[in-house]
Amino acid sequence: MSKKTKENISLLIFITPALIVFLIFKLFPTFSGIFYALTDWNGFNKSFNFVGLENFLEIFSDTNFWKSIIFTIKFVLVMAIFGNLIPLFLAVAIESRPKGKGLFRTIFYMPNMISMIIGGYMWGFIFTKVLYYLADNFGMKFLDHSWIGDPNYAFFAIVIVALWGASGYVMLIYIAALKGVPVHLIEAASLDGATKIQSFFYVTLPMIRHAITICLFWILSTSFQVFDVIYSLTGGGPGRATESVAINIYEEAFRGNIRYGYATAKSTVLFLIVLMITIIQLKLTDRKDNGI
Amino acid sequence: MKIKRKWENIVFYIVLILLAAFWMAPLILALLNSFKSNGELLTNILSIPKTLSLINYKRSIEKMHFFRSMRNTLFLSIFSVGLIVFFSSLAGWKLCRTKTKLSSMIYHLIIFSMLIPFSSIMIPLYRVVLAFHIKNNLFGLSFVYAGLGVGMAIFLYYQFVKEIPIELEEAAEMDGSSQLNTFFKIIFPLLKNVTITVCITNFLWIWNDFLLPLIMISDNKKYTLILSTNTLFGQYSNDWSAILSALIMVVIPAVIIYILFQKQIMHSITDSAIKG
Repeated sequence: MSKKTKENISLLIFITPALIVFLIFKLFPTFSGIFYALTDWNGFNKSFNFVGLENFLEIFSDTNFWKSIIFTIKFVLVMAIFGNLIPLFLAVAIESRPKGKGLFRTIFYMPNMISMIIGGYMWGFIFTKVLYYLADNFGMKFLDHSWIGDPNYAFFAIVIVALWGASGYVMLIYIAALKGVPVHLIEAASLDGATKIQSFFYVTLPMIRHAITICLFWILSTSFQVFDVIYSLTGGGPGRATESVAINIYEEAFRGNIRYGYATAKSTVLFLIVLMITIIQLKLTDRKDNGI
Repeated sequence: MKIKRKWENIVFYIVLILLAAFWMAPLILALLNSFKSNGELLTNILSIPKTLSLINYKRSIEKMHFFRSMRNTLFLSIFSVGLIVFFSSLAGWKLCRTKTKLSSMIYHLIIFSMLIPFSSIMIPLYRVVLAFHIKNNLFGLSFVYAGLGVGMAIFLYYQFVKEIPIELEEAAEMDGSSQLNTFFKIIFPLLKNVTITVCITNFLWIWNDFLLPLIMISDNKKYTLILSTNTLFGQYSNDWSAILSALIMVVIPAVIIYILFQKQIMHSITDSAIKG
């Protein structure tokens, strides 16, 4: 036996436990999903037909699915902007304070410890009870809306809860990045007469651009898969107005008339979108790293 | 200049305190109102409860079988994390140390698979779970979590093993130590920090996970905390005093763990984010 073969056998012995669970519960579902997407299987019958790309063609005329894609893109865009600006503001505001850094970090990161299902229900209480109470008893009439029942306000409510849930994590990454910016660069800029705002935009921001890319794409790929917040806050309603892609797939596969073949075709589309985002990210970070 | 900085600090502190209040509002309002009766809750939503009555808590503990759900969640999270640590530390170390084509192929396959979102494999995964008869089986579902979690964990272990000098292992091998022995006696203790990171991130993920249990657990005796809270919400959607006390009970263990292990948690989160 050659040395390489021996090494490979020893390798396989050690990685077998990990490899078995990985193959069965991750890789096999990935490929069988692509296979089911080409069939008309309903999940119960033993027999099914191979229908080629018919499911994918049907997606084009599925208005509910398109609505859920448009809703998700809207959500992703808003999250990409505010899910970066708010945490960046928090990180800068906290890091440049002389006292209380730890306390503020603790508070803003707190929601990340909590399941968004639980967080969503807590906010549900605020949107359906507390805000009405404020509107009635304190004359805050601008709060008097059907926050969960009106599609426009429901979108707003979902964004607030999602930002509340995600900001702490992004903030921590920005704080770590800000700590890596050399103090002497900021000092040099201020000696040259740069204002604080100028040195933030021309010194700090370029220095933390790697963190910005990480955060931006983390937000993009997690927001595309958004499920928990919407499930607990609006359940996709009113009607199907706040249905995200993941909610739409879940509804298709596990509620009502079950069409596994068709639902897996939709899942494949979701996967392709997330894959595309990641490939763009890898390309971008590669180029930037070479540019330094 | 000094006065200007002082004013700047005051303005920023005010903004931060207002934002912090907004951030804590859901938790504080849920806590305050969890002690009130439904009547008191509707008339005095912002006030401190008149009496510290635990009757809501007693009610929701019974309704959601709190302790049973807690046991299920603990079992599922701890057992899955154990599997993930054991499987991926071995695999990450061996993949890093073996310089063959096969090794790098497997490693890249595992890394690539980290991109696959759960919602896009949940349907075929459900079929696999049915085929293995592990629906409603917490022991079996731990292996599913292991399958989904090993990718990230192997990646982290691999990155850290790279920084351990290989001479340590070679010396041990000279002394006639078996590979398994070398790993557990020498390598694994050196990987303590990354093991803490893997434990924390995976524990939090599984403890708070909703979609997988929602699909894979239909027997309410096997419900996790989040599932039984969800059911309670579905059944008593207007009984806010019961729901809020349930939410508080689910959140408290996480908040206690957070306050105790804050440093490690924050460290491991940024660590895995930046390495990943």
